[in-house]
Amino acid sequence: MSGSSGRTTVISRTVARIVVPIILVTAIALLFRGHNLPGGGFIGAVLAAAAFALVYVIFGLEFIQREILDIAPDGSERHQLVESYRWMASLGLALAVASSLAPLAFDMPFLTQGVLFVEGIPIYHELEVASAFAFDIGVFFAVVGGLLTIVAEVGNE
Amino acid sequence: MGLTTPKSALPTISPVQPTPEVVLAVVFLPFLAAAFTPAVYRLLGERTAYFAAAVALVTLGLVTDQYLAGADGTVAFEWIPSLGVSLAFHVDGLALLIAFLASGVGVLILTYSGGYMHGEPGQAKYYATLLAFMGSMLGVALAGDLIALFVFWELTSLSSFILIGHYTGEKASQYAARKSMLITVSGGLFMLVGFLLLVWASGQTTAIEGTTYSIQTLIAHADAIREVLSASGLLVPVLVLVGLGAATKSAQVPFHVWLPNAMEAPTPVSAFLHSATMVKAGVYLVGRFRPLFLPEDAAVLGEWTLIFAVLGLLTMTVAAMLAVSATDIKELLAYSTASHLGLIIAAFGFANSYGAEAGAFHILNHASFKAALFMVAGIIAHEAGTRKIDRLGGLRKHLPITAVIAVVASLSMAGFPPFNGFYSKELLFESTYYAAKHMGGIAWVFPVVAVFGSIFTFLYSIKFASLFFGDEPDGLGHVHRPPIAMLVPPAILGALVLAISAQPNLFIEGLVGEVYGSVVPGDAHSFSVHFPTELTPYVIMSIITIVVGAVSFPFYDTLHDGINAALRGPTRANWWYDNFVEGLTTTSVAVTPKVQTGLLRTYATWSLFGFVALALGGYAAAGLQIPAIDGLSVSIPIVLVLLVALVAAFAVDIAPSHVAGVLTLSIVGFMVAIFYILADAPDLALTQLVVETLVLVIFLLVLDRLPAFYGDAPDRTVSIRDGLLSLAVGTTVALTVLFSTDASPDPLLQRFFIERGGVPAEHPPFFADFGGGSNIVNVILVDFRGIDTMGEISVVVMASLAILTLVRMRGQGETQ
Repeated sequence: MSGSSGRTTVISRTVARIVVPIILVTAIALLFRGHNLPGGGFIGAVLAAAAFALVYVIFGLEFIQREILDIAPDGSERHQLVESYRWMASLGLALAVASSLAPLAFDMPFLTQGVLFVEGIPIYHELEVASAFAFDIGVFFAVVGGLLTIVAEVGNE
Repeated sequence: MGLTTPKSALPTISPVQPTPEVVLAVVFLPFLAAAFTPAVYRLLGERTAYFAAAVALVTLGLVTDQYLAGADGTVAFEWIPSLGVSLAFHVDGLALLIAFLASGVGVLILTYSGGYMHGEPGQAKYYATLLAFMGSMLGVALAGDLIALFVFWELTSLSSFILIGHYTGEKASQYAARKSMLITVSGGLFMLVGFLLLVWASGQTTAIEGTTYSIQTLIAHADAIREVLSASGLLVPVLVLVGLGAATKSAQVPFHVWLPNAMEAPTPVSAFLHSATMVKAGVYLVGRFRPLFLPEDAAVLGEWTLIFAVLGLLTMTVAAMLAVSATDIKELLAYSTASHLGLIIAAFGFANSYGAEAGAFHILNHASFKAALFMVAGIIAHEAGTRKIDRLGGLRKHLPITAVIAVVASLSMAGFPPFNGFYSKELLFESTYYAAKHMGGIAWVFPVVAVFGSIFTFLYSIKFASLFFGDEPDGLGHVHRPPIAMLVPPAILGALVLAISAQPNLFIEGLVGEVYGSVVPGDAHSFSVHFPTELTPYVIMSIITIVVGAVSFPFYDTLHDGINAALRGPTRANWWYDNFVEGLTTTSVAVTPKVQTGLLRTYATWSLFGFVALALGGYAAAGLQIPAIDGLSVSIPIVLVLLVALVAAFAVDIAPSHVAGVLTLSIVGFMVAIFYILADAPDLALTQLVVETLVLVIFLLVLDRLPAFYGDAPDRTVSIRDGLLSLAVGTTVALTVLFSTDASPDPLLQRFFIERGGVPAEHPPFFADFGGGSNIVNVILVDFRGIDTMGEISVVVMASLAILTLVRMRGQGETQ
């Protein structure tokens, strides 16, 4: 594939080492602040997927498997990564569905979202907990999983 | 004969409401049993027939329970309350008669199947489908709601499809099943359009509050509905649409072609679906809607009479002639069925009370003799090993009991006095006679055609009975005795024929009178028939039928050959059907390679072309004006950004390689993102940026596998075509943006989002009716329109799985 480490320059590899964690942190930040500021599950997810894609291009798929995820290389290993991405996507979808079904247990319509303000917390004084956040996390994982499945499978070819 | 004396009612017992649980059980018990049939078959094997017959018997018992209770009325269960559709069941005479036929003949047929289907393949499927069919037919009979009626109606078509195609490997079965499916289902769709027009009409009249799907409500306000339909010129279209449903189902000319082919099904199926019950659905529909379209003071020759009397008499005559031309006993019975259904529809078509009486009575009579005859045909085919008319004869010696049943049923079918078929045919003659007498002139064609058709009916009926007499033809092998399970059901029906013949008024008072009440407007009243004692015009019509029939019987073979000789090319309805289906197939075979070349660009061309044509056509049809653009002020940065995007777009077009093309394309994307930032839409800008980045990366991954340069430049016509298409797509998108932004959405919605999106000033620690977030885009995504987001993430996951499958399946020999 295009991004095997032999064909990329030292500069790109060094930059990627620094940039990728920053991108990931930004993605997570976008996810967290989404309810009140620009951002949200979908944007965060696409950004996170872009970070992984960058690692592919620069270091290659094998690197992620061996060095980061520590999956033993055994002939069919290339599919294992895709498998875990698929799991991630399904898990995200399941989380989103579960969080939308939860209100039914409290006799509220499907997909009702609630907001809880927790008082008396040090430093913050007041913390807003929105049930929509659970849904957003579901969106995040579903999209990251879905996109990475595509990228990994296409990149494998 | 002073044939009938309409009398005002049985002593009026106040109608009892049907029991909801029982009515539900009647319709759904067969379905439930059908679901368990495969499991039962594992336990019982071929004895599943008796399990199924027991289910039918229970259903029959439940129907009888409602009948004895004198149930008359509607029970409704909520189904789609937002549309006013309910699962309503209406119990009255007509519904009970059809329900009796479906469950009663069902018991006999399922018992008979136990003998007939011995050693046949696919029995679990066979019994499950028969039971499901019985449930659907009971649903049709009892439906009190247009949508419920339509659903059960199509379910009967579906089960008929499966049963006709029972021998799945045989070409003839496949052809027959497909034919019946195409004809009956498409007819049902026309009927649905007619129903929807009726519902629309119910909404237009002030007599009914809102719209209604309830058949009985429509009938109760028949005058108002007819007025609306006439005023808008829709009365005849609705009649034709509903008539198409009835005509396709009841195999009326020219849609009769599917019925003879349907004889590919095992004989019990033919006896049950294609003579006694399913084909009666069309007749039932005509009877059910008769009081809606035919007021008490109807014109003698109104639209209704013109459509249904003509359709019915035409079918009665043509199908009777085709029956004479038949060479196979089941084919003969199939055409005969179409002919008798034509008789019933013609009878319902006439506006006088004799017509309604004839139709109501003949439904019962036809079911009794025809189901018996089909089972006789099954015995002959099973025991003599052939169904060819010219190879059968003298069967009386081998099948004595069957012969008695066949003779009784055939004479009844011929309309020979004093059998029950005679009484209903007399009523039809009487009805045509009075219709002609009232109108005079051309209307005298009605009685003449009725007699003409009846002569042929007489001929083929006698032919069927004659199979049991005379000499045995050479080559007829040893004829076995039928098993008892195959003999008892037709014998019961034969006894029923005799019982009705002996005491017609008992059956009329018990049930048929109520059926009559269901198919005429106004209050129900019964009628009675008497054996003729004086020479009336309609008795003379019967005498002519029998005498001419008897005189021409020796020339049966000449007639048979003559009709067959006349059936060439376009005079056969089959010719039209086959050519139509063949034409469709050839057309799609010819078109497919042009549209589906396997080249991505062809698909893109066609789908883009379709999108442009649909969108522009829609705008043109809606007569949209291009909105005036006013107050447009663009800041210098936006102009710059758009200019860069424009330049990049041109660069994409002239890019020499894939890499250059993709890179310049992403310039356009990033410019759009900057435009969003300048237009104060940070969320959109963020999304656009990250998506653009990711797409770029994916493109670069894919490009690795593609040739670095484009191939040879395409020829000029292709370039021009693509250029025009691009222009059209661009224009469409621009227009769409203009139109959609011009139609500013309801400010109510906007206000709702703004008011409800944030945290209210005064709030409890927990609340669920506000979004509670200051980013309204996100609140809309995850809260207000959460279900949209749910759909979108499901699409993302599905798309990734689809790509996974595509990539992995490649090279696994899935492609040719």
